[in-house]
Amino acid sequence: MGISLFGIAERNLRRKYFRSIAIALSVAVVAGTLFSVTTVMESVELSLKRGTARLGADLMVVPAEYEQKARAALLAGEPTTFFMSGDLLRRVRNVKGVKTAAPQLFLQSASYACCDVAEARLIGFDPEVDFTIAPWVKQRLDRPLGPKEILIGREVTYDVGGVMTFYGQEFTIAGYLELTGMRFLDNSIFMPLDTARRMIRESASKAKQTLTVSEDQISTILVQIDPKYSPEQVAIYIEHDIDGVKAVVSEQVISSVRKQLFVLLRSILVVSVILWVMALLMIGVIFSMIVNERQREVGLLRAMGARRRAVFGLIMYEASTLSIIGGLIGIAIGGGSLYALRNVIRTSLNVPYLWPEADQFLVIIVLCLFLAFLTGVVAALYPAFRSSRMEPYAAIRKGE
Amino acid sequence: MIEVKNISKHYQAGGQAVHAVNDANLHIERGEFLSIVGHSGSGKTTLLSLMGGLTRPDSGTVVIDGVDLWSISDDELSGFRNRKINFIYQFASLIPTLTALENVMLPSAFGKWTGDTEQRARELLGLVGLSDKLNSYPSELSGGQQRRVAIARAFINEPEVVLADEPTGDLDEDTEAEIFNLFRRFNEEKKLTFVLVTHSRELAAKTRRQVRMTHGVLTEN
Repeated sequence: MGISLFGIAERNLRRKYFRSIAIALSVAVVAGTLFSVTTVMESVELSLKRGTARLGADLMVVPAEYEQKARAALLAGEPTTFFMSGDLLRRVRNVKGVKTAAPQLFLQSASYACCDVAEARLIGFDPEVDFTIAPWVKQRLDRPLGPKEILIGREVTYDVGGVMTFYGQEFTIAGYLELTGMRFLDNSIFMPLDTARRMIRESASKAKQTLTVSEDQISTILVQIDPKYSPEQVAIYIEHDIDGVKAVVSEQVISSVRKQLFVLLRSILVVSVILWVMALLMIGVIFSMIVNERQREVGLLRAMGARRRAVFGLIMYEASTLSIIGGLIGIAIGGGSLYALRNVIRTSLNVPYLWPEADQFLVIIVLCLFLAFLTGVVAALYPAFRSSRMEPYAAIRKGE
Repeated sequence: MIEVKNISKHYQAGGQAVHAVNDANLHIERGEFLSIVGHSGSGKTTLLSLMGGLTRPDSGTVVIDGVDLWSISDDELSGFRNRKINFIYQFASLIPTLTALENVMLPSAFGKWTGDTEQRARELLGLVGLSDKLNSYPSELSGGQQRRVAIARAFINEPEVVLADEPTGDLDEDTEAEIFNLFRRFNEEKKLTFVLVTHSRELAAKTRRQVRMTHGVLTEN
């Protein structure tokens, strides 16, 4: 049994552990920052995509004065209610480019004894025409919702089959929707429009707080457009034909979020790039110092018969090992921090937030690890090359 | 075995050209035990490095076992050194992150070796009186002990040529005598060619042949 080239490198890393830790940590900072930023970006993107897909609407028609509230409700799940005349549904359906239009009614649960969950959003939908919740009911439940049945968002902490009370009436939970990352959907309770209206009517006699919403009122009209038109075009047609409403384009909501986040994430990315360049320079300088300090050692190895590529490989192996270890530490710390601070991130960004899927996670991890590896390799490349090209005798004498 | 022909080497020091080795010629037979004597700065170490293929001469050739060292590629020269030549230096030459045993085994990392390298390393460390220091790091050894580890390492690859530069410099008289006897034993038993650089006339007198280096010029004694 002898000793291998990698054995020499490993012993070097272990015995010079302060130096090894310093290099690994500087790579960890870069990898961790990059991993965190990329994961947050992916999370938001995924949540928006899934949320809008679940919403299934190209446009959302709301009372003009509530546009901002509607956007805030959609993106951040901020509790709010607004109403408009149900008569608008017929007029929206007649607008050029509108393929389907379905009403939804938003109600707020009260924090009184009347309701099991305080300040939950109750959403009434029309099973006959709805294209967001109704298809799910048809596909997964395979029967219409009963008059005393509701669906819940994934983050409402109740079990299927459980009973929830709203405004003095008991409802059985028939199922829950898949997680979207949009609190608007994940924290809401869904019921057919008829059930919602009956609850409103009977709240006067059964609940401690009466709901004062008239029979024909709705909160929003979700619109699917004819593929021959663009959502922006149809939004203009709707706003032109009907006074007092605003047609919010779903895609624009996403892009506005992207724009908001872009400013923030761009700053973080710039910081990440600066960090990366600094780490690259620092590790480069450290490796130059290491190589200078070990010049005699390199000369001795060459005198013993080490080929140039062996010396080069030895230094590169040390650099890449430290980089990968640093990358793994950074990703672990970044991932742990993201998980621990997930609620803070969600609250402070005020946007939908959902962890990326396993395969996306894997891609991010592999990319960050590759970048970490690249950092060490690029930083050590020149010192390793220079060292390996030196004549053994010159290297030995340089170390004198 | 070793044929040095018209070899010269100069370098710049303080803006001046120093002729470290000037047109040196030397023929060494296989199994010879030769010493090169001379004052500090006379060019002995440079000559040894030229003979070991550690530095390229400005002119002249070094042929060992029929191989012209500077006519082969750098990879071939590295392989040649790994198989045939080993060095003992006048300075601390151990790798600080490796134990005494690992330092002795080190040359095996750079070539295809057969046999039990670790066992041989243990035996060599025993021969230099360091059986109890196998797992000690250089920082845990005295200067003399480090030198003895380096001497043990010089024989790990069973070389044909050992080039030793002031190998017993830091050692006390008794250890110096012990080590010199070890050199002589290897020289006689294994027909190993030994070139010893020293400024000690006493040590040189113990070798069969002496040459003198004066201001880069080599002369037979």
